[in-house]
Amino acid sequence: MPRFYGYAGRILRIDLTRERTKVQELEGDLARGFLGGRGLNSKRLYEEVSRHVDPLSPENKLMFSTGPLVGTMFPTASRFNVSAKSPLTGILGDSNAGGHFAAELKFAGYDQVIIEGRSRRPVYIFIDDDEVELRDGSHLSGKDVYEADEAIRREIGDRRIQIAVVGPAAENGVRYAGIYANLMRPAARTGMGTVMASKGVKALAVRGTGSVEVADPGRFEKLVEEVEDEIYSHEQYWPRRRMGTTRILMMANAMGFLPTRHYRSGVFEHAWEVSGERLADEYNVKTRGCFACTIPCSRFYVVRGGRFSGLYGEGPEYEAQGAFTARVGNGDLDLALKAIDMCNRLGLDALTTSECISWAMELYERGFLTREEADGLELSWGNGEAILTLIEKISRREGFGDVLADGSRAAAERLGRGMELTMQVKGLDLIMADPRGLKGFGLGFAVASRGGDHLRSEPFIELSDDPRRGEEMFGIPEATMRLAYRGKGRLVSYFEDWCAVIDSLEVCKNIMENMEILPFERAAEVLEAATGMRMSPEEVRRCGERIVNLERAFNVREGITRRDDCLPRRFREEPLTGGASKGSIFEQEPMLEEYYRERGWNSETGIPERGTLERLGLKHVADELGLPRENPGSEREPKAFKGAGRGRIVCATS
Amino acid sequence: MKRLLVRAESCAGCRFCEMVCSFSHEGRFSPSLSRITVIKEDRFGFDYPIFCRLCESCPPADSCPSRALGRSPEGTLMLDEEACSGCGTCLKACPHTALKIGEASKPIFCDLCGGRPRCVERCPTGALSYEEVEEFDEKPIEALKRLMERWGIHA
Ligand code: SF4
Ligand code: SF4
Ligand code: SF4
Repeated sequence: MPRFYGYAGRILRIDLTRERTKVQELEGDLARGFLGGRGLNSKRLYEEVSRHVDPLSPENKLMFSTGPLVGTMFPTASRFNVSAKSPLTGILGDSNAGGHFAAELKFAGYDQVIIEGRSRRPVYIFIDDDEVELRDGSHLSGKDVYEADEAIRREIGDRRIQIAVVGPAAENGVRYAGIYANLMRPAARTGMGTVMASKGVKALAVRGTGSVEVADPGRFEKLVEEVEDEIYSHEQYWPRRRMGTTRILMMANAMGFLPTRHYRSGVFEHAWEVSGERLADEYNVKTRGCFACTIPCSRFYVVRGGRFSGLYGEGPEYEAQGAFTARVGNGDLDLALKAIDMCNRLGLDALTTSECISWAMELYERGFLTREEADGLELSWGNGEAILTLIEKISRREGFGDVLADGSRAAAERLGRGMELTMQVKGLDLIMADPRGLKGFGLGFAVASRGGDHLRSEPFIELSDDPRRGEEMFGIPEATMRLAYRGKGRLVSYFEDWCAVIDSLEVCKNIMENMEILPFERAAEVLEAATGMRMSPEEVRRCGERIVNLERAFNVREGITRRDDCLPRRFREEPLTGGASKGSIFEQEPMLEEYYRERGWNSETGIPERGTLERLGLKHVADELGLPRENPGSEREPKAFKGAGRGRIVCATS
Repeated sequence: MKRLLVRAESCAGCRFCEMVCSFSHEGRFSPSLSRITVIKEDRFGFDYPIFCRLCESCPPADSCPSRALGRSPEGTLMLDEEACSGCGTCLKACPHTALKIGEASKPIFCDLCGGRPRCVERCPTGALSYEEVEEFDEKPIEALKRLMERWGIHA
């Protein structure tokens, strides 16, 4: 067996039911085919978590992965993915976080940790290099993220360990609870914290004292220096350094796609009051960074007056900032910081939490929800007390909070109303960008493998609105114009492949993809210098394509078809009424057609064609899905999905 | 004497310095092999790199039973590898916890990269500097208190 450079070369399996651990060698073909991180997780999830597994049963598996560059000085190589079948969506669940946890796991000697079964007693897992211990966690039950983190540090007696922990929301079975590293760096989406808690695990504590070696140190160092220089000279460097992602809020408002009062408008009249600029000038005291990040873009803030005086913490990021300001009609920045801090401590995904609350606010306004049903809360836009109370209630699954604790889709089902108003795709609540003002992003939401989310494609270049970039990259000027439709299938499939590579190398998307620091060409070079694996840029992209297709196959196996690739009706039918995107709706059909064509997926069913899967080395997947052998584009229906996606295309949300 | 200095208010805790240091001394990446070590308190947003401060008087050098630790004209520690028994006495003696045990079971410590400290060159925030100062004896806990006061954090 050739030795692994870059990678740790080892996989840790923890069987909670039998209280046993096993260390395996990283499979070389998986490294080559799926790179690491998200790719490695998705691959193993496809192989090991079958169609019939209930997300909250012991049969679900929770996987943490680092990547081949993590634990080196490659700027921003700090991230991990955590994946499992999602209890929120029922399909592929996966979330990615930065901070210092991933590097520690790598120094402990693991590329991936797979947690299986269910513990009979509450535990936390301590990975101390080669030693893995299931420690009693009964005293941690119910503790919030901060308390649990502190208790574990004291117990182990080492303040330099890294901890990923779930809060009380996860323990109470809220289906969108995250896993929190470094207190404020959550893998928040798709309910990975809920899965962890369902296994009886409160936290993963890690101490790693090993090292990472690269295949060609000289070349690697040269590439790192190049990347550093490019970061420092990039036009986005200072704004990102100063404001991180919060710089986006004013931009979104100016372009008219800032989701306001549950996407009723794309312009928020209080945008300036809650902006990243204000945070930077009046609240931020310091820059903080993820492991080996040379931007760095995180900020520590302190509230210095008013009723939340003395509140402090790290962040927020744009999504949470927007979620608790414009989306719920709140113009009070302090209140938003308080709401976000509560989500952090209770361990909730701020985006889904905010969607549930703002959805309820819209129902309330329209008279579809009474005050009594909402536990007597006055759910008017921007009502701070109601927002904070609901966050608390959701985390405890108490009263109306219990209705909202399974996400907006489930809440609409349970109430028997408001489904067409839920702003979600495949059960995952949408992010802070109105797709009517950003068509490529919108297409990305429709097709993303974890549901309504931007981070699977994030064609940031659309914000440039520059036709020259579209011409140069895709031969279609409209591809990079935010209100145009043409070329978006190509744009999104390209960016999806790119993001899959970035997520699997576990570097930061803000820098490596948004700022375009790590295109496929350089990724291939870095990968070779770090690991010794020689791949052409095309092969690297193909890894991304393979990951996207395998994730799609996972979802197809769960019953997902073209009809699920659909945005909420509001975007398709109601034009934006003001701002720089005024008059826009979101016409998804032509973009979807182009997308499936680009992907080599059947345009009627949205299922990958056999030929596409075989080209990517996924023949066994095509076989399992029962895809027809000859005539890959034929009308014959694949056996596993009878009845789905035929004839008139009906949207799942309408 | 020229010393390494840190401005705690600027340090982002990215630990790029740790990676730069371990790579330039050992050719690979490991916080355990870095001569600079960043301590962090996420609760308070506090980050503070620890390294050898070239103190006037050095308890580790004085307490070494094998007399293996000497000083260079520039003030950095120098280890006589032959003489060092790997007993670890020096580690416990340093008031700044600046020493670590390296892979050969011998202490490792900042050698200022021979007068061109790589961590200073590469620190993305400019928190580190290499300059002429009398001494540098701020304790991390003092820096934490100072910053908490300045920022208005009351724990
Ligand atoms: S590189 Fe600079 S900012 Fe980063 S941890 Fe080290 S001293 Fe702090
Ligand atoms: S920091 Fe410690 S090892 Fe360095 S000179 Fe001072 S006392 Fe000696
Ligand atoms: S000066 Fe050199 S040896 Fe000293 S801490 Fe910095 S990088 Fe390490």
